[in-house]
Amino acid sequence: MKNILKKIAATGLAAVTAIGIIGAGTALASEDADTLYRSVDEIIESGTINIGVFSDKSPFGYVDEYGEYQGYDVYFAQRIGEDLGVEINYVSTEAANRIEYLQTGKVDIILANFTVTPERAEEVDFALPYMNVALGVVSHDDNVITDLSQVEEGQQIIVISGTTAETYLVKNNPEIQLQKFDTYAAAKSAFENGTGVAWANDNTEVIAFAIENEGYTVGIDSLGSADTIAPAVTKGNDSLLSWLNDEIVSLGEENFFHADYEATLADTYGLDYEDTLVVEGGVIAAAEEAE
Amino acid sequence: MNWEVIQSYLPLYEKAALLTLKIGWLGIAFSIILGFVCAIIRHYKIPVLHRIVGIYIELFRNTPLLIQLFFLYFGLPKIGIAIDAEFCGVLGLALLGGAYMAESFRSGLESIEPIQTESALSLGMSRTQTIWHVILPQAISSSVPAFVANIVFLLKETSVFSAISLMDLMFTAKDLIGLYSKTIECLAMLVIFYLIILLPVSIVGSIVEKKLRFAGFGE
Repeated sequence: MKNILKKIAATGLAAVTAIGIIGAGTALASEDADTLYRSVDEIIESGTINIGVFSDKSPFGYVDEYGEYQGYDVYFAQRIGEDLGVEINYVSTEAANRIEYLQTGKVDIILANFTVTPERAEEVDFALPYMNVALGVVSHDDNVITDLSQVEEGQQIIVISGTTAETYLVKNNPEIQLQKFDTYAAAKSAFENGTGVAWANDNTEVIAFAIENEGYTVGIDSLGSADTIAPAVTKGNDSLLSWLNDEIVSLGEENFFHADYEATLADTYGLDYEDTLVVEGGVIAAAEEAE
Repeated sequence: MNWEVIQSYLPLYEKAALLTLKIGWLGIAFSIILGFVCAIIRHYKIPVLHRIVGIYIELFRNTPLLIQLFFLYFGLPKIGIAIDAEFCGVLGLALLGGAYMAESFRSGLESIEPIQTESALSLGMSRTQTIWHVILPQAISSSVPAFVANIVFLLKETSVFSAISLMDLMFTAKDLIGLYSKTIECLAMLVIFYLIILLPVSIVGSIVEKKLRFAGFGE
């Protein structure tokens, strides 16, 4: 009996220790928040910038067959590295941990097709936008979903954890059952295997998916509000934020993002979407800004 | 630490904990049965079968559960066998656990001196009687520590289930962090829920260990 009591005491102690560690972590996190990010000068001095990108979201951020990072976001990242005069260390992120990576200082910039939302803007600082986006829903050819009310009870829609599509559906269509995956690759495989009646994601992504794979139709190509995609930095990293804003404005003068589109996205979307998708110099078309 | 946030997430964590427990315990139950059968086959070198079992054990002990789950969930449908995520989780855990359990039972069986079998047989007991009344009780009692360690190990392995879209504790925490960015609260709840699930197993396990360990000598 004594031994059992000892054991219980020991495990109790372990639990208390664990809670203590979490508490200490909380305290540290709040005290050291100011020092977690690096200013532009510190980045240039170190000679390397850490940029968080997707590794599985073609054609925006992905690793090609030679192991090189490629895509619309990466093209921009490459230019940032050149203009800062530093090496780039790409950090592969998942949708759900993009904010975490910035808050813990693991990356200096997130360039992972990050949609600007008010909720996210409370946690990180967004620079000027470089792309337009809305949500879209792709489904199988034999059962095209053109309206969310077509999703019957018991049927599921695939979403990726931590994306705006998930947030939107949780908020606006709580009755729809979601099947959540943590990576693009897993969601794609599952959808191809017939899991879920539809897949909700950024419309750019679902359009690309339907173009690249036979047997799928984008039944809903614009859902929710028209949003923008922008680079994000750790909250309070003003020097890097203003450097990025200046960079985006000056890149606009040379029509950099149009060139980016033509180099990375034209193969997938053709040139028809160029003016709809690209945001040049951080200036959003007047109609959308009014919204 | 925001207590209101914790309270509002509680139902989701409870649901996730129940799923973790359901898949965990079903998987473990099947892994015990599978491991037991495999250990007997291996120990008594039943022809043909013991080679197949040997390959199975090495295959599953030397590949990560994540890869086994990927294969079951994303690979099998390609050849026309579609199984749902929960079944996949139970199956993956059972196959992985079965391989570990088999080795634990086998080490228990091997710890019994052959002279005991010989003595039992010479006393006129049949082979089945020998296994059932002499070998197994001792073998099980000596493999209990490894057995309890396996159970704790398997319950912890459930944390990779997020890869196949199961909303277990780990995935629920990651998902909520992605949705609402309440990192500290979500992670703290994650640790505490795992402790709630695993501490009782460890405690009960060590009690059972003590009771059974000396079964042979009485108490």
